[in-house]
Amino acid sequence: MEFIQKKTADSAVEGFLTKAAESETSLVWDRYEGQLPECGFCETGLSCRDCLQGPCISHPFKDSNKLGVCGKDKDILAVQSLLRLVLKGTMAYLDRVSDFTKGVESGEIKPKNKVKTDKILKEIKNLFENGGVEVKKELPKTFAGLWDQIGISPEGIARDLFKASQRLEGGVSDVEETLLWAFKSSLLGCMVHWLQGNLKKSVFGNFIPTKVEVNLGVLKKESPNLLLYGYFSPILKHKIAEEAKKKGVHVTGVCSDPLIPPFSLPPVTNYGSQEIPLMTGAADLIVVGDQFVNPSLSNLSRKWEVPIISAELLKKEKESGRFAREIVERAKKSFDFRRNIPRDIPDVKENAMMGFSPENVDVKKILGALNKGKLTGIAILSGSNNVKYTQDQEILTMAQEFLQNDVLCISEGEASVTLAKYGFLNPSTRDKNCGKALSNLLSSLGKQIPSVLDFAEGSVVDLLFNIAKAGKKGLKDYPILACFPEANRSSEVVEAMGMVAMGISTYFWPALPVTGSMKAMETLTQFCYENFGSKLNIITEKKIDPRAKANLMLKTLKGKEGFGMSGKPWK
Amino acid sequence: MVDKTKCTGCHQCELWCGTEIASVSKELYQAIHEDPHPVPRVYVEGKDFALQCRHCEEAPCIEACPNGTMRRDPETGLVYVNEPTCIACWMCVMVCPFGIINPSASMKVAIKCDRCRNMGYPICAEVCPTQAIRLEERKDYSKKAF
Repeated sequence: MEFIQKKTADSAVEGFLTKAAESETSLVWDRYEGQLPECGFCETGLSCRDCLQGPCISHPFKDSNKLGVCGKDKDILAVQSLLRLVLKGTMAYLDRVSDFTKGVESGEIKPKNKVKTDKILKEIKNLFENGGVEVKKELPKTFAGLWDQIGISPEGIARDLFKASQRLEGGVSDVEETLLWAFKSSLLGCMVHWLQGNLKKSVFGNFIPTKVEVNLGVLKKESPNLLLYGYFSPILKHKIAEEAKKKGVHVTGVCSDPLIPPFSLPPVTNYGSQEIPLMTGAADLIVVGDQFVNPSLSNLSRKWEVPIISAELLKKEKESGRFAREIVERAKKSFDFRRNIPRDIPDVKENAMMGFSPENVDVKKILGALNKGKLTGIAILSGSNNVKYTQDQEILTMAQEFLQNDVLCISEGEASVTLAKYGFLNPSTRDKNCGKALSNLLSSLGKQIPSVLDFAEGSVVDLLFNIAKAGKKGLKDYPILACFPEANRSSEVVEAMGMVAMGISTYFWPALPVTGSMKAMETLTQFCYENFGSKLNIITEKKIDPRAKANLMLKTLKGKEGFGMSGKPWK
Repeated sequence: MVDKTKCTGCHQCELWCGTEIASVSKELYQAIHEDPHPVPRVYVEGKDFALQCRHCEEAPCIEACPNGTMRRDPETGLVYVNEPTCIACWMCVMVCPFGIINPSASMKVAIKCDRCRNMGYPICAEVCPTQAIRLEERKDYSKKAF
């Protein structure tokens, strides 16, 4: 039951909030306030509607309805709430990769490296069918051995997804067993995400750090703006960008991968403010996928007269080249049609270097600095926006605190776009943002290195594998942590679980829906610590400001709480 | 007022009453794990109907109470339990025609709704998603004015 006074840290977005209020446009923040108080049972994971005898709850304050009709108690309800998210998140990754592989297999694009592409396509197929023998060979030995031993190694869709989903249907699995199934499913998702990155490399060429402009100012006043929202086939995006270049249409992205080599799609804004570009009057056509796209766009597009096309319709043009031509043509027509609509584009944009990967960053140098104690640690910043917090404020403050304390920050996906909006990905602000030791390390890595390194799709997993293979220790013995300061989508939950399974302690906000059960929370921390040497930290305290959160994580990195790095138990 | 056609039996009033009124921490995540567990002052049991103290004009609980623990606030007319003086005789529990007074075995006091008399607006009405619970003046319901 918390109202957020300040809606966003982004001044470009803030300007539009008054405009929305004047025109009685309801945005994500209004809708959130309308939902308050959100259902407490669902928030804490104490509800279930898996069958038609329910919906059931486990009442924390009454003895009469502690158990669901089928007998699920609060512990099972909570851990199953997590499993439900994980299943959905894993399928999100599977959907992305199947879109991509289908496009590549159809021969609509000529891969840069045909041999490698065929090999990866085969690996993905095998991973889906039987857990991928070849993939396992490429994993660091410590991971594969441990996961096999616990029984959570991916064994294909049938075993990992179908079986895991049946925990929700019935059976007597306890909290730990259910959690293991959740991990098993998550690992399939993570492997798929990693392979998607590899496939992208082999189809479009190796990742090269590229200069991209970010924020609402990237929209053009004098030419048609075509916005691509969310995830859909990268082949289609590539074709659209190719066609648009010929026809003089400016293509930008929202919640979309900004780099489809040789093209880049400048991010207009990030997840939390995805409705704002429509209000500028400068969006001429929007093409949307499903993931990361708010359904509210449909109504808003009607109100602000922006045509919208879904790339995921059942009956759509199958051939992506033709579909792309059609889209670009419509964008041009729409631009002509909308000429009398005033364009209110704020003059706010930032430069950002995006698309680093272990191939273009010297991992050994980073490891060396880590081992010599020059770096406090490495923080992986991830996740999109969550309306429960002031947009961007959390991740912003954390990045500031980390950089000042010589923690190397690595970001990916939406988190990178967020940080880019505030100049963290701009090489020119590096020395101002970073502590001395970190600044020295970054400048030794290359010429145009920003304060925060944005890693391209799937490359964070690649980096972790590289560290695990290069170092003599397991990942759990390095001061590395992952943090999701404003997590939102289920794919982020999967990513967090994958990090924990690799031995990276992970901090996740807001609290996952397991807080209704002490046992589920303890299992996530204690059980994971015993098996993986890392924890998925669920912090139930709500009134904790981002600086305090950052300090909490810094303490973990420095080992002051006797956790992980120094090997001592919790005090 | 409780509108029984609007109540969906979602138990949100119980949950937030237990958290905001009855718990020590006042935070949902912590309140859930408190021992002894917080006792909500409103009940949704059996039927879709939230039941809380009606604050009767002629309140049997006040009359049954042997030592004046059950009192009426002279300003608002709300009936409340002065917990420090409660001797846990459960007379009020026996006479309440609505069965809304809870004899707390662990805390040895009678627990009942005081319509959030110190908060201005009752929490159950504030959180009710369908507005089945509302606070409104209905002069036509009372026999005499307080």
